[in-house]
Amino acid sequence: MDVLFYIFSAIMILFGLGVVVSRNPVTSALCLVVSFLGLAALFIQLDAFFIGIVQILVYAGAVMVLFLFIIMLLDLKSEEHQPMNYMAFAGGVILAVVFVVQLASVLSSFKAGELGFPLQQHELTLAENAEGLPEAAQERMAEEKLPDVHLVGRTIFTHFNFPLQVVAVLLLVSTIGVVILSKRKLT
Amino acid sequence: MPAYYLEAAVVVLGIVLMLMDAFVEKAEKSLVAKVGVLGLIGVFVALFFVRGPEAGDAAPIWSFYAVDPTALFYKGFALITTIVVLLMSLDYRGVLQHFMGPEQEKAGAGQGEFFYLPLFTCAGLMWMASAKDIVSIFVALELVTISFYVLVAFLRRNVGSLEAGVKYLILGALSTGFFVYGLTWLFGLSGETELSKIAAQLANEDSAMNLYPKALLFALSMVLVGLAFKVAAVPFQIWVPDVYQGAPTPVTAFLSVGSKAAGFVVGYRILQPFIDANTTPQLITLILAVSGATILLGNLAAMQQDNFKRMLAYSSISHAGFLLLALGCARTAGSQINVQGVMALYLGGYLAMTLLAFHVMCLVRDQLGGEEIATYKGLAQRSPFLAFVLLIAMISLAGIPFTAGFFGKFYVFLVALQSRYYVIIALAVLGVGAGFYYYLKVVRAMYWDEAADDRRLAVGPMSKAGMALLTGIILVLGVYPTPILSLFASS
Repeated sequence: MDVLFYIFSAIMILFGLGVVVSRNPVTSALCLVVSFLGLAALFIQLDAFFIGIVQILVYAGAVMVLFLFIIMLLDLKSEEHQPMNYMAFAGGVILAVVFVVQLASVLSSFKAGELGFPLQQHELTLAENAEGLPEAAQERMAEEKLPDVHLVGRTIFTHFNFPLQVVAVLLLVSTIGVVILSKRKLT
Repeated sequence: MPAYYLEAAVVVLGIVLMLMDAFVEKAEKSLVAKVGVLGLIGVFVALFFVRGPEAGDAAPIWSFYAVDPTALFYKGFALITTIVVLLMSLDYRGVLQHFMGPEQEKAGAGQGEFFYLPLFTCAGLMWMASAKDIVSIFVALELVTISFYVLVAFLRRNVGSLEAGVKYLILGALSTGFFVYGLTWLFGLSGETELSKIAAQLANEDSAMNLYPKALLFALSMVLVGLAFKVAAVPFQIWVPDVYQGAPTPVTAFLSVGSKAAGFVVGYRILQPFIDANTTPQLITLILAVSGATILLGNLAAMQQDNFKRMLAYSSISHAGFLLLALGCARTAGSQINVQGVMALYLGGYLAMTLLAFHVMCLVRDQLGGEEIATYKGLAQRSPFLAFVLLIAMISLAGIPFTAGFFGKFYVFLVALQSRYYVIIALAVLGVGAGFYYYLKVVRAMYWDEAADDRRLAVGPMSKAGMALLTGIILVLGVYPTPILSLFASS
């Protein structure tokens, strides 16, 4: 399993770099798709099958295809010939390096095996409260497999119902916004 | 009536106005804003009759939604801000008309949206005031930010507005990234999303947060980066001058008051337990350093501005510095004074004076067509009323006694003195001194200089009433700040 983790992480990082380094927007977008696939694989390794699949369907499938459409509709050729701003490039690299060093120092302060992330306990208590889920789901729980679609759905629509309603208003606002900013004639 | 009906009412009002916009005549779009103002006044009245959860009520919403003095105060704050912003938008119609569509389009194109979108922002601000869970904080914050992206770029035929929109979008998305990253670290360390439960773990010696203070500090500094962007603190203030200048003036006012206040409510709610527990003493140092730099840069940069809007942008940066100073004193201030009350008093005064200044700016821009300080020459001859309210706003921003701005700054200095942060106090005194110069520069232009021509300025009755009310708030808070302070005294 460890080998798979390193393979997929390497894929993610390499293609993530590709997104930033590539001067051709289409290449960047395609690199991002591959990077998302690597991320989806990592989610699946963590037994989060639903999020993994959604990552592929929504991000790699829908969002990136939309991105590609827009990139191809716009003429971005001029961008490729712009000279590189080396100062900005150096500044960005320095910031990124500082950030990575910070992160590394934080991560190295964790002693392996001493204390699991509290997150894991959280997940287990979630699974114990499976009452009221459909029978098929409960059977899978008995086999100690997480029926994560059911759990995610139930959690979002019961406990997290309030934030869900706020997100609905947010989507309404962004829809209005897109129409206002892009409509050619407002009458 | 449970408190969450308030936001529901605001959202429903927004949707009703949206439908109204579809059916109302093009020339009468102002009706949308007027109904919006009346509706919001109704919601504001309802604010005094709401209640929190009844005993034994364990509905999931109460773990996301706080009903305490802070929440109610900032809900009222958001409502007043939105009401004034709508009044301003009415006075800004001419500019809107000019940049929204070509001449052949009928008058009023796109105005309806400009009048009802702030209502959704208002709902977001009210939700932020109550948010006490990482998830609800984030979604409410995004609702506010995304509606601002649209509003900032609203004058789509104006290059400045579009530029402001793009800058705000890119930097806003970046800061959101930092904010979410910090929140996920907080969640990873505690396994909880509810702020009170996270804070409860701080008391436990064996909790992951106490075992790994380095990771906790990392999480908190990421959160601080995200919030510093929202409240426009150095070094995350770079977007402010351009965005404030480019955005339509009512939106600029909304940004500088609503967005900033919401940032501070959320900042206080998230950071206060960590400041109190002092597991990571570096956090306070960090906040104070940011505060000192913000006060200094905001005030010094404002001195050189000739554009009134840009000057107010830098002034808004400097006020964020004073508020951060108060936040940094949350642990060390004396027990008689509640830092939350100090911040609320400061923000209450800031609301009145900033909105007044921007409202006058809307009228001047609409009728004289300029935002330079030179445009304000002889404003006292053009309209004694406008000159007088702007005078009150300016001296209050500068912090002259008998205005709300004075007591705001006075209490910030008081808590800073109690905490013995002498270096920052020195910087703040310097900042206040610089403030006198550039705020009074506007006053001089209005009263001492001659007007270039004899055009008069007309002020509608609704705007006049709104401005008179805000002036009243400034003067009353300037002699009697107790109501706001006592609101927080018991908590």
